Amino acid sequence: MSDPKTTPAATGEHDVLGHVDSPPTLLIVFVAILVLFAATVGISSSGMFGKYTLFVQLGIGSIQASLVGCYFMHLRHGDRVVILTALASIFWMGILFVLFMSDYMTRHRVIG
Amino acid sequence: MSANTHSTVLKHHFGDLEQQHASERLGMWMFLATEVLFFGGLFGAYACYRLWYAAEFEYASSFMNLKFASINTVFLVTSSLTMTLAIRCAKLGDKAGLYRNLLLTFALGSAFMVLKGFEYAEDFHEHILPGTSSFGGEIKHDAEAQGLDTGKVRLFLCFYYIMTGIHGVHIIIGLGCILWLVQQTYANKIPPENYSTVEVVSLYWHLVDAIWLFLMPMLYLAGAHIHHVAH
Amino acid sequence: MTTAVTSITPKIAPPPPEPAPAEPNYLNVNYSLWGWLTTVDHKRIGILYLISITVFFLAGGIAAGIVRLNLLSPDGAIINEDAYNRAFTAHGVLMLFFFLIPAVPAVLGNFLIPMMIGAKDLAFPKLNLASWYVFMVGAAFGVYAILNGGIDTGWTLYPPYSSRSSQSNVVPGVFGVFISGFSSIMTGLNIMVTVHKMRAPGMTWGRLPLFVWSLYATSLIQLLGTPVVAITTVLLMVERVAGIGIFDPLIGGDPVLFQHLFWFYSHPAVYIMILPGMGVVSEVLTCFSRKNIFGYQAVAWSSMGIAVVGFMLWAHHMFVAGISYYSALLFSFLSMLVAVPSAIKVFNWTGTLYKGSITFQAPMLFALGFVVLFVIGGLTGLFLATLGTDIHLHDTYFVVAHFHFVMVGGMVLGYMAGIHFWWPKMTGRMYSDWWSRVAAAIIIVGFFLTFVPQFMMGYHGMPRRYPNYPQEFQVYNVMSTAGASILGLGYLLPACYLTLSLFFGKKATGNPWSATGLEWQSPSPPPLFNFDEAHMPVVVCGPYEYSLGIDQMGRGLPEGPGLGTPNDPSDKHGESSAPGPMKKETEVVG
Repeated sequence: MSDPKTTPAATGEHDVLGHVDSPPTLLIVFVAILVLFAATVGISSSGMFGKYTLFVQLGIGSIQASLVGCYFMHLRHGDRVVILTALASIFWMGILFVLFMSDYMTRHRVIG
Repeated sequence: MSANTHSTVLKHHFGDLEQQHASERLGMWMFLATEVLFFGGLFGAYACYRLWYAAEFEYASSFMNLKFASINTVFLVTSSLTMTLAIRCAKLGDKAGLYRNLLLTFALGSAFMVLKGFEYAEDFHEHILPGTSSFGGEIKHDAEAQGLDTGKVRLFLCFYYIMTGIHGVHIIIGLGCILWLVQQTYANKIPPENYSTVEVVSLYWHLVDAIWLFLMPMLYLAGAHIHHVAH
Repeated sequence: MTTAVTSITPKIAPPPPEPAPAEPNYLNVNYSLWGWLTTVDHKRIGILYLISITVFFLAGGIAAGIVRLNLLSPDGAIINEDAYNRAFTAHGVLMLFFFLIPAVPAVLGNFLIPMMIGAKDLAFPKLNLASWYVFMVGAAFGVYAILNGGIDTGWTLYPPYSSRSSQSNVVPGVFGVFISGFSSIMTGLNIMVTVHKMRAPGMTWGRLPLFVWSLYATSLIQLLGTPVVAITTVLLMVERVAGIGIFDPLIGGDPVLFQHLFWFYSHPAVYIMILPGMGVVSEVLTCFSRKNIFGYQAVAWSSMGIAVVGFMLWAHHMFVAGISYYSALLFSFLSMLVAVPSAIKVFNWTGTLYKGSITFQAPMLFALGFVVLFVIGGLTGLFLATLGTDIHLHDTYFVVAHFHFVMVGGMVLGYMAGIHFWWPKMTGRMYSDWWSRVAAAIIIVGFFLTFVPQFMMGYHGMPRRYPNYPQEFQVYNVMSTAGASILGLGYLLPACYLTLSLFFGKKATGNPWSATGLEWQSPSPPPLFNFDEAHMPVVVCGPYEYSLGIDQMGRGLPEGPGLGTPNDPSDKHGESSAPGPMKKETEVVG
C-alpha cells in the first residue's frame, strides 16, 4: 500500500479492498451514458416514435441507470444480497406501478 | 496497512474489516432501496396522471428549459465519474487524487444546483408556476388557445416543482456528505482500509444521479417534440 | 442441570462469583442519565424505546377511554362532536405510529436480535441510537399537534378534507408521522443488515429462531413501505401549506391517489404490527409446550410470504372509494391470498401444541390468547375482503372490531407475551407469577367484552367515527365501554407488578424458562457485549430442540418441566436461593 500508483492488478490481492476500478472502463461507461443521453434527447425532440416515445425514453433511462448501477455503483462485483436488494427495490416499485395502473387504466370502464 | 490502522478502523462489534465493509455497503444499498421507493411513489403518481392527462402533461413539459437540464445532466453524470474515481484513489491511498476528485464532484454538484436556481428564476419570471394567481403568461395563454385544461397543466407544474425540489434536497444532502468526506480526508481518517466510507457516500450520489436520468424524460423530454416559436 | 453442563463444556462464561450484584452487566455499567442518553448499546436503546412507547400507549389508551366514555350515551356523554373527532384521531395516531409500529421491532427486536443470532450488537449502533432520537422528535411533533388542539381527520388523513377543509393541526401531526417513519426505516435497516451479516458461526438461515425470521420480514416491509408513506405525507403537507398539490380535484388531481399511496404503506404496516407478534408467539409456544415448532420452514417462509403478498392488496381499504371495478376484483382476490400464509402459521402453532407438555405461565396465556384472537380477527377480515359484504360492512364498527382483534388481540397480546417472556432476561428479575396470570386472564376477558359487541353493532350498521348513534345501539356501546374499563385495568396490572418486580422481584437465572435460544445462554441481565468476548457462541443445531433437551449451542437445558428434575438453586448465572412466592413457578418451568 506504499505506492499510490500501484496498478489495480497489483492491489487486487488485498481482499479487504476488493476490486479496484480501471479508469478506462469508467471513462467508456461515462461516454456511453452521455451518448445515450444525446440519443434520448434527439429521439424526443424529433418525436420519431410517436406515442411510443415514452417507452423508448424509459428504456434508454433504464439502460443508463443500469450502467450507473453496474459500473459506478459496483453491482458487478456486489454481494448476492446487494444485488438482491437492488432487484427487490425495482420489484417493489413494479408492484406499485402495476397495481396503480390496474386502477388507473380501467377506472373509466363501467361494468354493465 | 498496519495492524494499528486496522484496529482504529475496525469497529468493536465486527469480526473483521471485510464484514464491516460488507455491512456498510449493504446498509447503504438498503437505504437506497428506500430511496427508490420514496421516488417510486412520486413516479407512480406521475404515471397515473400522465396516463390520464397525456396532452396537458406533454404541453406543459414543452415549456421546461431543456438546455439547462441537458447541461445539468452532463454535470451530474460527470460528477458520478469523479466520485467513482475518488473511491479508486481512496483504495490506492492516493490522498491528493481523493481530494481532487471529491472537490471536483462537489463543484459539479454545486454547479447543478446553481443552474437549477437560474432555471427556477426563469420559470418564476415566465409565470410557469402552479398557483392559482401566479400561473399565467405564455403557458396559460397558449393552453387556453389550444383548448387544453389549464388545471391539468398546473398539475404537471406541481410535479415539476415537487420532483425537482425533492431531488435538489437530495443533491444538497449529498454535497454535505461530500464536504464531510473532504474533512475526513484532511483529518487522515480515510486510510485505504476505510475506503468504504467514500463508497457509501458515492452509492448515494450515484442514486441521485440515476434518479435524475429518469426525471429528464418525465419532466423535460415529455414535450420536447412540441416546438414553440418564442421558446 | 446447568452446573453439570458447565462442567461438560468449558466454553461458557466462567461462573461468576456467588454474590451476583458484582457481576457487570449492561444495566450496571453506569447509572447516569447521560450514560443512557448517549448509549449505543442495543439493549439500552431497547429499554429507551420500551419506556417511550409505554408512555404513548398510556396516552393513546387515555384517548381511547375518552372515546369509549363518550359513546356511553347516544348523544355523546362527555365531549362535543369536534372534540370527539380529535380524540379518536389522537387514539389512532398515537397507537399506530408511536406504539404499535415500534412496539416489538424497536423494543424486543432491538434487544433480542443481536443476542439471538449471537452478535455483540446491531450492525450500526449509532444509527440505532439516532433512530430513537428521530422517533422522539417525530413523537414530539405528534404530541404537540395533539395537545395543541388536536387533529380531526382520523389517522388516515384523507384529502381533500385534510388538505383544505380541516381546521386542525394537520401539518405538525403529519410531519411527526413523516419523521418517525425515518426511525422505523433505521430500525428495519439495522435489523436486516444485522441478520444478514452478523450471525454467529453455525447460525445458518435454517437455524434462525422464528422471531428473527418474523422481524426480518417486518424489517423488509418497514424498509420498502415506509418511504412511500413518507413521500405521501410530504405531498400532503405541500398541498396543505401551498394550497395546491397533486391531490387537488380542482386541477384534475385525484384524492383517491392519496389513498392508494397511503395504503401502499399502511396496509403492509398492519403486517409490521402483526408479524413480530407472530414471531413472539412462535418462541413462546414452543418453549411452554416443550416441543420443536411444527413445520419450521413453513412458519419461516410464511412470514416472508406475508411480507411480500401483504404489499399487493392495499386497495381493499378502498372498495367503496371509487376505484375501478376490475381493480377491486383483483385486490379482492389478492386479499384472500394473504389468508393462506396466515393460516399456515396458525395450523403450525396448533400442530406445535398438539401433545406438547404445556404449562400456563403468563407468556403462554398471552400467546394462546393471541392465537385465538388472531384467528377471529383474521377470519372476519375475509368478510371485508369480499367485495359484496364489504359494501355493507365498510366503515362500520365491524371493521373497528376486526382490526382491533388483530391489532390489540393479536399484536398487543403478542407484545405482552414477549415482554413477559423476556422480562427476566431484560431486567434480571422475575415478576409475580400469580398476578401476571390474573392480568392475562383479565385482559383477554376485557378484550372480548369490548370488541365482540362492536362486531354486532357494526353488522347492524353502526358507522365508525360517529359520535352519535340510534338508541338501539346503546346496549352494545355500554357493554363495549364496560369491557374497555376491564381491559384498562388489565393493562394497569402489568405496569404495577412489572415495575414492582424491578425492586422486589426474585433474581432471575440466566435461563428461567429453560428455553433454547442463544439469548438465554447469557446471564440475566446480559453483559455489555451480550456474551463472553472470549467465547462467542457457536451454533450447532436448530432453535427449538426441546425434545432433545439441548440449546442452540448443543448444551443441555437447565431443566424442563415434566422431566421431574428439581430446580438447582445454584444456577450458574445468578442466585435463586430463597424459596419465596416464586418458588411454585420455578418448580413448573425451571
